[in-house]
Amino acid sequence: MAGAIKRTTGLTGLAVSKYPHQKLGVLYGKILRTLQKIPETAAYRKHTEAVIKERAEILRTTPIVEEAEKKINCGQLEEVIIQAENELNLARKMLTWKPWEPLARPPPPNQWLWPPAQPVKQR
Amino acid sequence: MASLLRQVSKALRAPINRNIAACYQSRLQSTETANVEPPVETRPTVRKFDAVQRTQLKDFGKYVAECLPKYVEKVQLTAGDELEILISPEGILPVLQFLKDHHNCQFANLTDIAGMDIPSRPYRFEIIYNLLSLRFNSRIRVKTYTDELTPVESCNDIFKAANWYEREIWDMYGVFFANHPDLRRILTDYGFEGHPFRKDFPLSGYVEVRYDDEKKRVVIEPLELAQEFRKFELSAPWEQFPNFRRALPVAEEINVDKKE
Repeated sequence: MAGAIKRTTGLTGLAVSKYPHQKLGVLYGKILRTLQKIPETAAYRKHTEAVIKERAEILRTTPIVEEAEKKINCGQLEEVIIQAENELNLARKMLTWKPWEPLARPPPPNQWLWPPAQPVKQR
Repeated sequence: MASLLRQVSKALRAPINRNIAACYQSRLQSTETANVEPPVETRPTVRKFDAVQRTQLKDFGKYVAECLPKYVEKVQLTAGDELEILISPEGILPVLQFLKDHHNCQFANLTDIAGMDIPSRPYRFEIIYNLLSLRFNSRIRVKTYTDELTPVESCNDIFKAANWYEREIWDMYGVFFANHPDLRRILTDYGFEGHPFRKDFPLSGYVEVRYDDEKKRVVIEPLELAQEFRKFELSAPWEQFPNFRRALPVAEEINVDKKE
């Protein structure tokens, strides 16, 4: 049954993708180009690039869908497409948020203390 | 006779004093050694934690802090195996979007938003987001803070589930959510005033509701208590749970220093 045509993903509202490899290739290209605009020292860029390049390499070497799914091990390729779309959306938003900058201001003192600090008693 | 009694009482008191000193010392030690790895738990009735899962959670906490250093203030493990990310209020949208959309997170499910009121803090309200990742079968908690006047950014655009949860917080605590599409009260009665989960809201409320036979309708009147408020002293003079004196610390901070 390996070569049988896939009829359904079994997930509501998620249609079978006809050409998942091409679609993912386009998406991964877009993500990598967006990540180019982020400073190279940013951890978000490093980690995301690693994930994307690993998946792109798997897709390049394994043209059979089932095998690629097994190697990526993150659901069906249709789900992987959704993940890539989410990542692209996130990467574009990250450009405006710039979360790789250092902490803007330190938390107020005793904000995260538990049990909470008692107020100083007036005498 | 009196001197005998005094001697006996002195003899009785001595070991008690020593016991108190020992207790005090052990308590001191327990606070000092909070960061040291606790001894192996062998009691059958106490929950054990999966060491592998704990290290994974710690690594993931460090990962999030590394990716979003602008917003993450502190990362900690509570109750042994629950990961908490404590963020500044500006970072609500970026952090939640990151946790939802990033390949290694995929926390696509907002389980709940909770509030907490601690009046002694300058930012008295805590907003707590509980997230669930079905893909990786893990949960995470994101906490931030605000006060009565500072609006918090609504995360309705990221999680549709946030709509009613934020309305609940608004109703119960009076925390204003900016850019919420429909911020109305959701839990309290028609015409209710005040935010009942605030610590300064009286237990009895401000008004009482009754059916008036003459007016043939329900009337709302200011509360009249038949009896004055009584002050109950609820704290006991003895220690109720001495076995918990050497319990594990509430939260275990994860060091996210970049030099490591």
